[in-house]
Amino acid sequence: MSESLQDSIKPWLRASKSLRPMILLVSIIPLPAVMISAYLLKIDPTMSFLTIFFPIQALGAAIIGYRAYGKRGIGDALLVVIVTFLSIFVMVMLLSVLWSVIFQGFQAMSFTFLSQNNVYVSTTTSLEYGGVGHAILGTLLVVAITTLLALPLGIAIAIYLTQSQSKVRGLVRTLTQAISGLPSVVAGLFILSVIAIDPLFQRSGLAGSLALFPLMLPTIARVAEEALKLVPVDLRYAALALGAPNYRVFFQVILPAAKSGLITALLLGLARVVGETAPLILTLNANNGTNWNPFEGGLATLPTYIYGYLGSNYTNSQSRAWGAALILLILVGILFGLARILSRSKSLKSKAKK
Amino acid sequence: MSSKQASAEVKRKLAAGPLSLADRFFFGTTTAAAYFAFVLVILILAFLLVQSFPIIQRQGFDFVLGNIWNPDQGIYQLGPMLWGSLLIAIFGIVIATPMAVALAYLIVFLLPKRPATIATTLVDLLAALPSVVIGLWGLFTFGPTAAGWAETLNKYLGFIPLFSVQSSENGFFRSPFIASWIVAVMIIPIITSVTREIFSQLDRDLVNGALALGGSRLSVFRRVIFPTSAGGVVGGVLLGLGRAIGETVAIFYVLNLSLDINWSNLLEPRGGAIASWILAKFGESSPEEKQALMAAGLVLFVVTLIINFLASFIVNRSQPWRKN
Repeated sequence: MSESLQDSIKPWLRASKSLRPMILLVSIIPLPAVMISAYLLKIDPTMSFLTIFFPIQALGAAIIGYRAYGKRGIGDALLVVIVTFLSIFVMVMLLSVLWSVIFQGFQAMSFTFLSQNNVYVSTTTSLEYGGVGHAILGTLLVVAITTLLALPLGIAIAIYLTQSQSKVRGLVRTLTQAISGLPSVVAGLFILSVIAIDPLFQRSGLAGSLALFPLMLPTIARVAEEALKLVPVDLRYAALALGAPNYRVFFQVILPAAKSGLITALLLGLARVVGETAPLILTLNANNGTNWNPFEGGLATLPTYIYGYLGSNYTNSQSRAWGAALILLILVGILFGLARILSRSKSLKSKAKK
Repeated sequence: MSSKQASAEVKRKLAAGPLSLADRFFFGTTTAAAYFAFVLVILILAFLLVQSFPIIQRQGFDFVLGNIWNPDQGIYQLGPMLWGSLLIAIFGIVIATPMAVALAYLIVFLLPKRPATIATTLVDLLAALPSVVIGLWGLFTFGPTAAGWAETLNKYLGFIPLFSVQSSENGFFRSPFIASWIVAVMIIPIITSVTREIFSQLDRDLVNGALALGGSRLSVFRRVIFPTSAGGVVGGVLLGLGRAIGETVAIFYVLNLSLDINWSNLLEPRGGAIASWILAKFGESSPEEKQALMAAGLVLFVVTLIINFLASFIVNRSQPWRKN
């Protein structure tokens, strides 16, 4: 009694002590209920979570909310339960993607798979032969050329957006954002239409790189702009006041200060295009062999490799697709992780300065 | 008396713009790069238009309204695909928006700092997953499960036209329903990150004040958080819509493309999506059909460009703190 009284005069406590066991109970009780019902009624487990687990938990939470805070507790409890449930649902889907790619991909993984190419491999060939070596090489070549084009241009756009006093900056920013929503298949069609008009320009690795270019550019421009914005404007003014011309201010003051942010922009741009499939299918000829020349002939890339094996009904082919997806996922993961680490260390530094 | 001294000769000209040649070059280059963004959009439009003009001229408005695609007779019409794209995108939004807003609310208002950072990282990772990987997952892992959901939905709610099917013999896989789920998985991170940004920039004093006045979490959400951030969330949803309409590979594998237009039967295993249609028809197409596909791409580009323009306009306006 005295304890609950004490609790009731501490409104800042989110849940009083006497309620905690009940909250625990309500969170746990639905679980066996779901298991039993799924077992007895032969309902699909994912379905039973939606139709049994969720309503029971919502009801339980509402009752506790009512007991704790009266009528307004019901709404609060329902809000928390619904928000948590939906969020966990999203996380489960994400983990399901990661788990299935990692689990199924590992079955194909071997040194041969990483190094060999796809020549003499049919849909039923054993996984001991053939691999994605040529596709990894192709992806690296295509993405490297795209980066060579998009990185300087993207950073130049970011400089324009942060350093100049132009009046059309808002429009350029909006346009860059709008391009970032460009459907990837349209980027492929664009290059295809150029090929159709100019007979000298052929389907090749270069065409693929150019098709990826409009997809990478806005990502780099946006992240680089954020990075340049983080450099204190006082630094720039101080350098200008000392008589430095603008370009030297940029290269000697702003660039060193924003270096890690610009690398982050590069990494996120790479992560954006490394898995793009549709533009490459439209602009590249498939190739089973290893091709070092991105300017001529067919070129295999990881996404198109996956695409090629995805529709197959044979287990071995599907395993190859999963294996290539795992490599792609690892690539994206590395790029993404590096970007995270870089941006985190930067924010730590700025905190330490404060 | 001091006026004479003050009018001493000015040695350096004061100017707003850059003076030296190198500086002019520096700003000239960056300005050229910025204008290149305009040039790029115009180039894409122009090249696609030149290629697809004969087809669009011949078909007129039927190109986007009719439902015949017959290369032998030279008739190319996109109606079912255009409608299918919209149907999938809209239902995808309906699924994704509550989840994304819930996730953003959880991250910003409910979770302690560390789990919130982890959740944010996971959501960003979801955004970085290539669509072909999502397609792979949709085809082999998620699809069969979702087909089970669709079957149950049809069994118990089949009397609603939205969930009715002509016959259940064809199964429930490769329907707009499943394609919408796949699209939802891909746009949830987009909507979440925009919403999270807007929630986290919300004036905390406003929220705490409302709580101190005796508001509950729900009333604070309804009366304070929702009205102040609704505009930005709508912008985020539009960004997601643009992405959903343009999605290609992931839908390609989980949707049965059909010219028999599917108005609203979500669970029926036939539907359309422009982008996937381009991919599906591209392989064995004649030069003329390729032109028709470029016309389809042009339609797709214009639609997504308008949506994205609108979206970034709304998002920028609801985030005044992002202006310099």
